[in-house]
Amino acid sequence: MASRSSATATGAFNQNLGAYLFLAPALLILFLSLLLPAVATIGMSLTDVSFLRPTTFVGLDNYLRLLSDGRFQQAVGNTTYYTLGVTLPTMVLGLLAAVALNRRFPFRIAFRTIFYLPVLTSLIAAAVVWVYLYEPYSGPMNGFLVSLGLPPQPWLQSPDLAMTALIIMAVWRDFGTAMIIYLAGLQDIPEEIYEAARLDGAGRLAILRRITVPMLSSVTFYLMIILIVQSFQVFGAIYVMTGGGPLGSTETIVFQMYQTAFGYTEFGYAAAMSTVLFFVILLFSIVGTKIMRRGEA
Amino acid sequence: MAELELSRVSKTYGAFNALRDVSLKIGDGEFAVFVGPSGCGKSTLLRLVAGLDPVSEGQIAIGGNDVTTRQAGQRPVAMVFQNYALYPHMSVYDNIAFPLQMERRSRQEIKQEVARAAQVVQLSTRLQDKPAKLSGGQRQRVAIARAIVRKPGIFLMDEPLSNLDAALRMEMRSELTQLHRRLGSTMVYVTHDQLEAMTMADRIVVLNGGKVEQVGAPMELYHNPANLFVAGFIGSPPMNFIAGVAGSIAGEAMLRVEAPGFGEVTVPYDGSAVRTGDKVTLGIRPEAVTLGDATDDSISFSIVPDIIERLGLHTIVHSESGGRPFTALFNGDPRLRPGEQIHVRVPRTQIYLFDQDGVGRSRQIAA
Repeated sequence: MASRSSATATGAFNQNLGAYLFLAPALLILFLSLLLPAVATIGMSLTDVSFLRPTTFVGLDNYLRLLSDGRFQQAVGNTTYYTLGVTLPTMVLGLLAAVALNRRFPFRIAFRTIFYLPVLTSLIAAAVVWVYLYEPYSGPMNGFLVSLGLPPQPWLQSPDLAMTALIIMAVWRDFGTAMIIYLAGLQDIPEEIYEAARLDGAGRLAILRRITVPMLSSVTFYLMIILIVQSFQVFGAIYVMTGGGPLGSTETIVFQMYQTAFGYTEFGYAAAMSTVLFFVILLFSIVGTKIMRRGEA
Repeated sequence: MAELELSRVSKTYGAFNALRDVSLKIGDGEFAVFVGPSGCGKSTLLRLVAGLDPVSEGQIAIGGNDVTTRQAGQRPVAMVFQNYALYPHMSVYDNIAFPLQMERRSRQEIKQEVARAAQVVQLSTRLQDKPAKLSGGQRQRVAIARAIVRKPGIFLMDEPLSNLDAALRMEMRSELTQLHRRLGSTMVYVTHDQLEAMTMADRIVVLNGGKVEQVGAPMELYHNPANLFVAGFIGSPPMNFIAGVAGSIAGEAMLRVEAPGFGEVTVPYDGSAVRTGDKVTLGIRPEAVTLGDATDDSISFSIVPDIIERLGLHTIVHSESGGRPFTALFNGDPRLRPGEQIHVRVPRTQIYLFDQDGVGRSRQIAA
C-alpha cells in the first residue's frame, strides 16, 4: 500500500518535472523581466540608493517620508482626479458609441474605424497635435470658443485647467477602446432578448436602461479596472504636454516617480512610491476580479 | 381574445420570397398551428404577426383592427420564444413583471398579476431565483407567465418545446393544451413537428416554400390531404407513394391504375379531371396495411421486410417494393423476420389518389 502510493507520487513528480522543464524557458523570462524587478524595487525602497553615494539600509524611512510629503500627496490627488475624469466619461461615451454603431446603417464600419483611430495613433504624435490644438493664441480650441462668443482659455498654462485639458485628450484617445470592448459585449446579447423587450412594450431608452446596461455589467467592470489601472500609470502625455506643470497641477504619481528617480537621483524614495502604486493597483485588480466573478455566478 | 386575419401577406428579403400571398383567418379562441419543414416561412409569418418584422405586402388585422403598421409593443400579442428569451440578469419575478412595468402599472397591481401568473405556471416558489437556476421546462414556464400577464389577444409561440427533452416535451404539450382551454385565448403556435401539430391544434396551417398548402382540422388533413406535400408531411411514419398510370374508369366511381410492382389497382375516385393515360400517384398510409391475402374490397401484394422496428404497441416494417421504399405499420408484435416475404393487403378505400399535378382527388371513405 505504502509502496504503491510512493510509486504514484514518483510518477506524478516525473510527470510534473517534465512539465516544469517545458515551462522553464518561459518561467525564466517571466522571472527575469517581471518578478526580479518587482522584488528589486521593493528591496530598493528600503534603502537610500542613489548611485552618487554609498547605499545604506533605511528601513521604512522612505514610506514614512511619503506620508508627510505634501508634493506626493498633491500627486496622489492629481492622479485620482485624472483617473475619475478619464474613466467615467470614457465609459459613457464608449457605451453610447457602441450602442449607436451596433445597429445596421450605412458606413457603420467607417464610423467604427474613425472612432477607433485615436487608439492607434502614436501617443507622442497625438500629444504634439493636442498641444497645438490647445495653443492659447492661434489654437483651434480657442478659435472655436471665440466663434461661439466665449472667452479664450489658457488651456495648458492655467493650474486650474491643465489637468482637465489632459483629461479631454485622454478621453478622446481611450473611448475607442471602450467602444470596441462594449461592441464585443453587445454582440453577446442575443437578438431575441431585444425582441422580447420590444414585444413587452419597452422603448429604446427602457431597453438601454433595463436590458443593455445591466447585461453589460461584467464588461463595464472589466473596462473600469483597465481604465483605472491605465490612468494611474499616466506619464507620456504629461511628459510631452505640461511637464507636470503649471505649479505641479498635472504632476501625477508616475511623473513624480520619474522625476524623483532620474531628476533628483533619489532611487530609493522613487522605489517606495512605485511600491505604493503597485499595491494600490493590485488592490483594484483583486477587487475588480472578485466583483466580476460574483457577477458571473 | 381576438381573431387574426391575414390578407395577401407577402415577405421578401432582397430577391428571396419568404412568404407569398398568404391569406388566412384564425378564429377567436382557436389554437392554430403553423407547421412545415425548416425554411417554409412559418416563423417568418409569426414574426410578421408579432410586428418584429414589417410585411412587404398585405394586411394584418387583429380583433378587426388593422395593425400592419403598428410597432411590436403596440399590438395585442405576446410571444414565447424558442430559446425562452428571458432576461438573464432579472429574477423570475422581474421577468414576469417587466411587461407590466413597461405599462407603468402600480406596484401593488403588478405584484398581484405576477402572483396570479406564477400560480398558473406553478412557479410561485421560484420567484426570487435567476433564470440560470431553473431547468429548461421551468424557464419555458417563466416565458409563458410573462406572456400571460400581458393578457394578450393572441399568444404567439415559436417552437416553444423544441429545446426540451422528449419526456418534458410531452408533459408541456398537455400543459399548453390545458392552458389554452383555461385561458380561452387565441393561440398561434409554430412547429416543425407534425406530432405537436396533430395533438394540440384545433386547426393546422401547413406551409411549404412560403405558401399555404392546406388549412384544416388535424383529422381533415390526415384523411383528405390536399396534395402530395401535405399527405407526406402529416402522419408518421409518412405515407407511401406509388407512381402509376391512370387506366379506364371501372364501374361506379372507381379508377383502374397501372402501378409497376403492384399490378393493376382499382381505387375509389370522385370522377374529376383524371384522364386515361395520365400519370398519377397512389398513396398508402403505413397504418392502412394489414397482413393477409386479398379480398374483394382490398388489394394485396407481397413485401420483403428489410428492417423491423418493434415498438411493442406497433411494429414498423421497412421494405423495398417496386424499386421504392415501402413502410408498413402493424398492430402488436407479429412474427416477422427480415428477408422473409410476407403478404399484405390494403383496403381500396384507404388508397389515396393524386393527379399528375400532385393534387389530391377526394376519396370515398367507406361508411
